[in-house]
Amino acid sequence: MNDSRVGGFVVRTLLWLPACFALWYGTAPYHASIAGAFAHGWLALLTPGLVHGVERTGSSLAFVTTLRVHPQPGQEAVLVPEVSALVYTYGLALFAALTLAVRARWWKILAGAGLLLVFQGWSIAFDLLAQVGIGLGPEVSALAGFGEWRRESIALGYQLGAVIFPTLAPVMVWAFLCGAFIQGVVHRDRGLPVAAS
Amino acid sequence: MGRFLAIFVAIVVGLFALELTPPLQAAVVAPWTAGLARVSAALAASFDPHVLSAGKVLRSSTNGFAISIEAGCNGLEAAIVLIAAMLAFPAPWKHRLIGVAAGLGAVQVLNVARVISLFYLGQWSPAAFEWAHLYLWQALIMLDALAVWLVWLRTLRAPEEWASARAEAVPP
Repeated sequence: MNDSRVGGFVVRTLLWLPACFALWYGTAPYHASIAGAFAHGWLALLTPGLVHGVERTGSSLAFVTTLRVHPQPGQEAVLVPEVSALVYTYGLALFAALTLAVRARWWKILAGAGLLLVFQGWSIAFDLLAQVGIGLGPEVSALAGFGEWRRESIALGYQLGAVIFPTLAPVMVWAFLCGAFIQGVVHRDRGLPVAAS
Repeated sequence: MGRFLAIFVAIVVGLFALELTPPLQAAVVAPWTAGLARVSAALAASFDPHVLSAGKVLRSSTNGFAISIEAGCNGLEAAIVLIAAMLAFPAPWKHRLIGVAAGLGAVQVLNVARVISLFYLGQWSPAAFEWAHLYLWQALIMLDALAVWLVWLRTLRAPEEWASARAEAVPP
């Protein structure tokens, strides 16, 4: 890969983007299941015992928690917050378009999709934690055992997962896997050799 | 690459955490977002006199449709990413500062286009608005930041050229 013209790269990315978005949207329900499993892994690591199962309906993930709430006097219910996986997984389409635009080898798309699941799992997990720790009120937060500093950490983790990771993670993973293109951009004008992609 | 990534991630997390603090929200984020709404409304008013802005809200006086510019849509996060990428990459400070100024301009120009397009998309089709808002424009703004960074990289000189440029600048 030694074509490092930025304009051509941007045009090719824009041309690939609609097809990648369509493919992502079509496969999103299956992808959501895997992202949900990664989110479950993050939750097991960060808040052991809070969630004991994930169920999927379309692209929506329902997390079966161990928290029991009382919606009305005399009634008890298990808290099952839902998270839309689409909001956190669309970066896969951007990553695929960027990778196809530099004509990288096909296995890099698979490897990148795998790496992105770590970030997507984080985003989904912190969406759930933000609901439990902040969105559903102080009673639910206390039930989960979240203190002040934990709620602050959840807020930061949620902001990172909601605002930064969905778009930045695809670009970082692309830069990691297709670094030869960036090297080509840096060295092209200097007549330096460019590594193969 | 490893050093660049470590510095980049540290700056992104640091600036992002700083952005979330109440003093910076009040002093920078809120005025910036209100300014973005005003600029977007002023540009839209050149072809549509029924566009109004109040704070971070853009509203149509004909049908009452309104959008509120929230975190993630004010271009500050893309700006943080771009600033971090330029600061993390080894380059002369002058080049970094020029890059940051030009890059922020490029990101914000596209962001104004995003706000105006979403304002009209929302009035036309809620489904199209949702798609463009949640997925498409997010990707396009990050692609814009990436393209600006790559163009900036191309304009960088090799370290040995910086040294000779500095030597030429020093009078004999």
